[in-house]
Amino acid sequence: MVTEEEIERVAKLMKIDVHDHKEFVEKVHAMIDFFDMLDSAGVEDEEIIMRDLPLSSLREDKHIPFEDRLIEKLKNYKGSYVRAPKMV
Amino acid sequence: MNLKISALEFVNEVKNGNISAEDFVSATIDRIKNIDEKLHAFLQVNLKAVEQASQVDKKIRSGEKVGACFGMPISIKDNICIKHSKTTCASKMLENFVAPYNATVISKLKEQDAVFVGKTNLDEFAMGLTTEFSAYGPSRNPWNTDYVPGGSSGGSAVSVSAFECVASLGSDTGGSVRNPASFCSTIGYKPTYGLISRYGLISYANSIEQIGPITRTVKDTAFLLNILSGLDPNDNTTIDNDKDDYLSGIDSGIEGKKIGLIQEMIEEGVDPDILSITNAAVSKLEGLGAVCEDVSIDMVKYSVASYYTISATEAGSNLARYDNLRYGYDFPVEGFEFNSYISKVRSKFGPEVIRRMILGGFVPSTGHAGKYFLKALKVKNKLTKEVNDVFKKFDYLIAPTVPILPFKIGEKIDDPVALFQIDINTVMSNLTGIPSISVPFALSNGLPVGMQLLAKQNEDKSLLQAARSLETTVQLPEVPI
Repeated sequence: MVTEEEIERVAKLMKIDVHDHKEFVEKVHAMIDFFDMLDSAGVEDEEIIMRDLPLSSLREDKHIPFEDRLIEKLKNYKGSYVRAPKMV
Repeated sequence: MNLKISALEFVNEVKNGNISAEDFVSATIDRIKNIDEKLHAFLQVNLKAVEQASQVDKKIRSGEKVGACFGMPISIKDNICIKHSKTTCASKMLENFVAPYNATVISKLKEQDAVFVGKTNLDEFAMGLTTEFSAYGPSRNPWNTDYVPGGSSGGSAVSVSAFECVASLGSDTGGSVRNPASFCSTIGYKPTYGLISRYGLISYANSIEQIGPITRTVKDTAFLLNILSGLDPNDNTTIDNDKDDYLSGIDSGIEGKKIGLIQEMIEEGVDPDILSITNAAVSKLEGLGAVCEDVSIDMVKYSVASYYTISATEAGSNLARYDNLRYGYDFPVEGFEFNSYISKVRSKFGPEVIRRMILGGFVPSTGHAGKYFLKALKVKNKLTKEVNDVFKKFDYLIAPTVPILPFKIGEKIDDPVALFQIDINTVMSNLTGIPSISVPFALSNGLPVGMQLLAKQNEDKSLLQAARSLETTVQLPEVPI
């Protein structure tokens, strides 16, 4: 059973202020209940296969000059810095 | 100017000098101005489209080499980046984001002289299947504007269906191209995973999503696939298709091919009208010489739960970057501490995005990962094995694209689990990476119903041939708008 506190904790971890806790608890709870059907899929012995991607198949990590000054496209900047709230 | 032509017809008409790209694009923009207030397919219209089309005409007149699109007006889902244009993902969080680069699909279309008429509406960050979760208001179904057009690429499907362009690009994470294609009577294609580059598509669930064309005909989809497919150094999940020509042999037919009707997709919850329409489609295919049999894929029952668990987890990670500091809506930083500012501004995400992010934080978390996320990955694996086994016996699979008819705007918006279950017939293709296509097949109560055909991985060309065969059996009335 998912509690309101758990949802609040996850919302905090995801950095979201959730105003109407009751509404979110009910809907998120219904969704998680739905996911519980995975318990009856009988896949306990199944392996999880991941796709291996060797470093050699990645493109070369090289600097490509960019024609625009990206910082100037941002809404809040000073010099070469993004303006942000202070960290206490 | 007759706007009700296919992409290939447009190319031929311009090539033969019967129409100019400029006149056609100009008439297209006029139509958007006239009818889009009712439909809300577009979030932005390209005011330079007519001028760009006239440049293509100039190239034709001067005998310069002209790209395969000949100035074709195409709309683009607003989660695909076009350089120097806004890309909002229908979210307040990207309200002022101007893309600094082109997605690979955009570069490829530009090289072929396509003209982008505008960016289309979607569920916020492509999370939804009705387009009601757009922060800028819902799109409406051109067959009946009280009804949803499907989603998340609802704006793209509406724009093609209502003759506001000749083709569109959407993205499909769990059915987001095929679902609105079914609801709006267009072709909707989800290619084999990796066939089309995702570079420049704003990420939602990278491991399963693909960009896909929405068109009026199967041949138009094949035409676009010829342009869009292939390896891209900027997306290392792309696959080498050896420059396959998807148009050649498209009329090869399906005589002698074996088609499996997926039982789990026509059982519980399927609308009786959809069921009888599915049986009619099977009869038509048999009439063309195919051999159809029932087939069972047990893991389909768990596919929606697996899909939402995986996609929410990836979404939670992908959307962590949006902090409203570099772009976003106006909300001053003064008076806030860093973390409280981020939490405050992120509450501007819409309700569906917030729900999925909370789920995305919950299902892979300590103490819950084994029960949810890891089990979802195991279901995905077992489903892939079952599907591969089925394709040892069958050439194609068939099922209705959506198990229910289009519904009214607002009818299901407050019931996320009911919305989840509508995805049951489309998510399998994303989880397993196989190609699938929705073909408009019938009307029920004046609303379109699409049939979905599926093939094994990398059999995109063969799948398009089967879809073309099915398409030849159908003649739907014109959209009433």
